Amino acid sequence: MDAGFYFFEQIFNSAIFYFALVVMCSYIILCFFSALEMKAYMRKNSFIDYREILVSPYAPSVSILAPAYNEEATIVDNVKSIMSLHYGNFEIIIINDGSKDSSLQKLIDAYQLEKVNFCVNEQLHHKPIRGIYKSRNSSYSRLIVIDKENGGKSDALNAGINVSSKDLLLCIDVDCIVEQDALLKLVKPYLEEKKRVIATGGVVRIANSCEVEDGRLVKVHMPKNIISRFQVLEYIRAFLMGRMAWSRLNGLLIISGAMGLFDKEIVIKCGGYSHETVGEDMELVVRMRRYMHDHNLKYQVVYIPDPLCWTESPIDFKVLGRQRNRWTRGTIETLWTHRDLFFNPKYSILGLLSYPYWLFFEWLAPILEGIGLISFILLASLGKINWEFSGILFFMVYAFSILLSTIAVLFEERSYHQYTSGKDVLKLLLLAFIEPIVYHPLTIYWSIRGNIDKFTGKKTWGTMTRAGFAGNQKKTEVTAVSQAVDIKEQQNV
Amino acid sequence: MAKILIIEDEELMLKALEFRLKKDEHEVVVAKDGREALQKVQSDTYDLIITDIMLPFVSGLEIIGKVKQTPHLAHVPMIVLSAVGLENVVLEAFELGVDDFITKPFNLTELTIRVKKLLKK
Amino acid sequence: MLIILSTGPYLENLFLHRLPFFPDNIKISLFIIMFCTIATVEIYLYVFLKKAKMKRDKYLDAKWKEKISNMLSNIIIYGDEDDGLEKVVNHFLPRFKKLPLNNKRVREILIEEIRIYHANFTGFTADVLKELFVRLKLYKYTLKKLKSRLWEVQVEGVREVAQFWLYQYDSLVFALTDHEHEIVRMEAQTAYVRLNKEHPFRFLDHMRGRILPWHQLILFEIITKAQHVKIPSFSKWLNSDNDSIIIFCLKLISHYQQLDAIGELIRLLKHPNEEIRRMSVWVIGKLEAEFVEEELLHIYHQETLKVKVEILTTIGRISSGNYFDFLKGCLDSDLFEVRMAAMKAILGHGKKGKIMLEELLDRVSIPNQGIISHVLDTRI
Repeated sequence: MDAGFYFFEQIFNSAIFYFALVVMCSYIILCFFSALEMKAYMRKNSFIDYREILVSPYAPSVSILAPAYNEEATIVDNVKSIMSLHYGNFEIIIINDGSKDSSLQKLIDAYQLEKVNFCVNEQLHHKPIRGIYKSRNSSYSRLIVIDKENGGKSDALNAGINVSSKDLLLCIDVDCIVEQDALLKLVKPYLEEKKRVIATGGVVRIANSCEVEDGRLVKVHMPKNIISRFQVLEYIRAFLMGRMAWSRLNGLLIISGAMGLFDKEIVIKCGGYSHETVGEDMELVVRMRRYMHDHNLKYQVVYIPDPLCWTESPIDFKVLGRQRNRWTRGTIETLWTHRDLFFNPKYSILGLLSYPYWLFFEWLAPILEGIGLISFILLASLGKINWEFSGILFFMVYAFSILLSTIAVLFEERSYHQYTSGKDVLKLLLLAFIEPIVYHPLTIYWSIRGNIDKFTGKKTWGTMTRAGFAGNQKKTEVTAVSQAVDIKEQQNV
Repeated sequence: MAKILIIEDEELMLKALEFRLKKDEHEVVVAKDGREALQKVQSDTYDLIITDIMLPFVSGLEIIGKVKQTPHLAHVPMIVLSAVGLENVVLEAFELGVDDFITKPFNLTELTIRVKKLLKK
Repeated sequence: MLIILSTGPYLENLFLHRLPFFPDNIKISLFIIMFCTIATVEIYLYVFLKKAKMKRDKYLDAKWKEKISNMLSNIIIYGDEDDGLEKVVNHFLPRFKKLPLNNKRVREILIEEIRIYHANFTGFTADVLKELFVRLKLYKYTLKKLKSRLWEVQVEGVREVAQFWLYQYDSLVFALTDHEHEIVRMEAQTAYVRLNKEHPFRFLDHMRGRILPWHQLILFEIITKAQHVKIPSFSKWLNSDNDSIIIFCLKLISHYQQLDAIGELIRLLKHPNEEIRRMSVWVIGKLEAEFVEEELLHIYHQETLKVKVEILTTIGRISSGNYFDFLKGCLDSDLFEVRMAAMKAILGHGKKGKIMLEELLDRVSIPNQGIISHVLDTRI
């Protein structure tokens, strides 16, 4: 018996402790790279005149793809706001993914659409198209509406890709609030990087409690709802610290489904969005990167720190839990599908750094954390705990996570300072103290549930949420589906 | 003399145009974004409309379309004043029925002459 | 309160007396805790001090910007062309001289605002603004900027030189066209095109590395919008071994409709770079060089898909009507893009093409019917 406890204690004291140290170090390193990347970006773009892209006949052409499912309440306004994006050469493709409401009719009425004899080049597989609509009115000549049978988000996007006649694809959520110069900023890396850029992503922010008028963000506020507020902190950390750093290392694995600009040629060559996973946005980027490596092509995936896209976040734990559960399953599925990347030198940074990082820190860390917690409780109940040491260990992790969040807020302050009032910033900073004890354990729980659901093959969850796009859930949920699997901060107990 | 609607989101341009046209004794109404423009177009009538293409909320092309479809406004001459001189945008604008397309940077005097000419028609 | 009081001595005891006796991991933890706490406190201080400073800066910037912008718009309103340049400038100059131009903030805002106004207008307004810039001796600061050690400041300087046509700094700008920093190089080159009257494109001769698409885009914009630039025949760079120069020149040849380049274009049809071949075909179409059609058909069969599609589009653009049979034959192709492009090319022949497509519609397979009706649908 005693030997067993000794063993447990050893794990507790050393193995997990050093794992935690490695995780912490990796965060500090990421932080450092992120700071470098942000600084370089801000310096380079502070005096750029984006109008040059706007007015040039040689700027790349872009198709904006926005799948819609049961969005009748907002679709007309959303389309209108997408149409007013600042860009020269673009088309808008709205894919009505078999909505059960009057989304399509609303569009037809508002934009004077009629069915056209569009002949689709079936390069990617998807559910049958019922009809393609364009407007009689030439002021809406940029709009194409596809009406198809329900098949989920990936399916809808694939149909849109087939119809697209432009070089780049901007995949967005139709209910996102997109900044008007988003396209200009996303396109720029395609024009200026030395290697071929295959995808760019922008920062997604939380729109809850912000003032929105006609699909445009007028004023940024800190969400009133505490759950959303936690997510604000989480998003700032994930985007400004995590993704910027990975962009610097050219090891970025994920671009949010809420907004990403892709090279159409490569997307089609590697087979489009996958129907097999709930994390289609992550899976696509990994597959595109693989494709480039397999064909020995030099490439880059770029993230830009400008806040370009605002999304409504879940405001109750149930919906949020479902979202995180799905993100976890998406991660597992992507990691499993591409398991041969693991420490595969052929894929350089993708195989040697990004993949292992995701495997150990994104997938494994929450599990270890959960196990740590359970064994702690177990030992504690048997009175085998050195309370003082445990307290110190716990406090170390706690202090570190506060530091990390504080640095994230600093980054935000030094770059875009969206939250202009000192009060809002203070709120964010104070939130960093509660987050590790209140919010973080929940994300661990959801993540573990995701694992359990995935490995027990609890398909009901899977199909239900996949129908999530297709399905009978609230609007917030729809947004959630498409959001990225986020980089979650980990602490270890 | 004439009532002119200017739709322009750049403060600087708006100011310059507004004052310049007021100096020529025109009555000037301004709209700073597409939404405001649509309201103003629907609620009143004008002798001339000057519009930008890239506008907040509603694109200039859509506004042109709306104006040209509204019976009491369809005959109102329109000038597009835009930094975007892309062939497809210019063609689109003319197809919708605008009378003139001026790209930035532009000559203010030239603009006032064009305004005068269109108002005479 | 009690907790704080009791933790004080505890922490003191912990860190000062007991620390050496702890196991390694606890020692490390304690150090990390200390580090994190100190760092967090420092960041707090930094964030709030910075925030206060930023608020002040913002207020001052807005104040001056408003003021200066009002002064500048007065020029636009009251600067009457009939009064002549001299009189207008003399009228407004004293007011601007009263501004505290020794203050860097005010000066930079003024320069920036004049530059933006200047960039938006041509004609009399622009002349007045330039004169103002010169009379206020703002160019002295431009010179300083050009010689700065920070590249972003240099870029600013170069931009001012280009915007206000400061010919006297021509040679300084030329020196920067070979600058080690890419963005400075690019800005200097665009500025040089505007400034130099004799050989504005001299830098193309000794270009290092690739001209990035972004750079091409800006150069193109500057070259085609500037009124006084002497346009050379760009075909002389078409044999460059730098592919990006060739692509850039192809765009310009198309823009300026330089027919003398056609000979070179035909040669480029055999270039190893696919993009260059495609662009050459495209330019041939833009120049509507009918006599090259045969050459295009000649290379068609060994070409890649992208170039094939471009050739078909070009045949449609030239629309000589000599190759209807060839275009119709393309319907047998396995490639969707080829069939689509061929049918569009037939439509490119105007009325005649339309009639031909309508006739074809009844005679072809169902998939091809789809393509033809797509092409015939004017709403798409």
